Amino acid sequence: MVQEGQLLAVFNSAHRVMKAESVLKAKSLPVLLIPAPRALSTDCGLALRYDDDTSESVMQVLTEEKLLPAIICRRITGGKYEIVWNEDGSIP
Amino acid sequence: MNKLDCRNMACPTPVITVKKALEQHGEIQVRLDDGAPLENVTRFVKNRGFNVREEQLDNSWLLTITPADTPLPTGTGQNPDDTVLMITSDCLGNGPEELGLLLMKNLIFTLLESRELPSRMMFLNSGVKLTTEGSDVLEALNKLTGMGVEVLSCGLCLDYFGIKDKLVAGGTTNMLTTVETIISKARVIRL
Repeated sequence: MVQEGQLLAVFNSAHRVMKAESVLKAKSLPVLLIPAPRALSTDCGLALRYDDDTSESVMQVLTEEKLLPAIICRRITGGKYEIVWNEDGSIP
Repeated sequence: MNKLDCRNMACPTPVITVKKALEQHGEIQVRLDDGAPLENVTRFVKNRGFNVREEQLDNSWLLTITPADTPLPTGTGQNPDDTVLMITSDCLGNGPEELGLLLMKNLIFTLLESRELPSRMMFLNSGVKLTTEGSDVLEALNKLTGMGVEVLSCGLCLDYFGIKDKLVAGGTTNMLTTVETIISKARVIRL
C-alpha cells in the first residue's frame, strides 16, 4: 500500500490519527489512513500515507491543528523506511 | 486450445483476462511474465479447481490451464483451502461507527500482507459501500483482485443504496451465487 517515495506519518494515538485524517481530508488533502507497516508499528498501529508533493501542506495543517505525528518516514528501496522527521526534532 | 499472451500487462489485468477466457473456452494456454503475474494467475486458477501445467520459456512462463480431471465434489469440503469472506457491513464489530469503519478498512489493508488469501470476497448490505466510489479501500481491493481474489458485490444492495453505477472494485453478484457460495465453499467467514 506504500509506494517508494511516499511518506507515512505515524501516530501514537488512534484518536489523534483519526482526527488528523478528518482535518486533512476536510482540506481536500489526499491522505489515506492505513495500518502502519510492521517495521514502524506503534501502539495503535496506524499511519497516514501521502505523496511527497503534498508534504508541505500536510505539515502546515498538522502544525496548525497541533496534531503532529510521532514520526514521519519515507519508503525507500528494498521495502525499507527512513525516518525524515520526528517530534523532538532530532533525525536519527 | 485458446492461446493468450498476457506478458507486459500490469496487475490485475492478467488475472481478469484469464478469468474471462476460462469462462468462454474452459481451457487455455497463457504466456505470463515471471513474478507477481505468474503467482497471481496460478493461485487464481488453482483456487477454482483447474489443473495447471507450468513451462518456463526464455523470459516468461507458459501455463496450460485445463479443468480438473476429477470434478470437485459439491457440498461442504469442496476444497479445504478455499475460504470466502462475506462482508455484510462497512463496519467491523459492534461499537462506535467511527471505530467500526476504521477496523474494516484496516482488515482489508492488512489482508494484502497475509500469506493466505481468500478465494472470494463477497460484499453485501452496507458492505457494498466499500467497493464503490469514495471508498478508501478501492486500491487495496484492486490489488487483491490482482492477487487472484474474486471481489463480488450484491447487485440488490448496490441498487438499494443507489450506487449501482458507482461500482469500482470487482463485479456484481446475486443471491443465487451467494447461496451457492454458502453451501459449497469449505469456509465462509462472515464479517
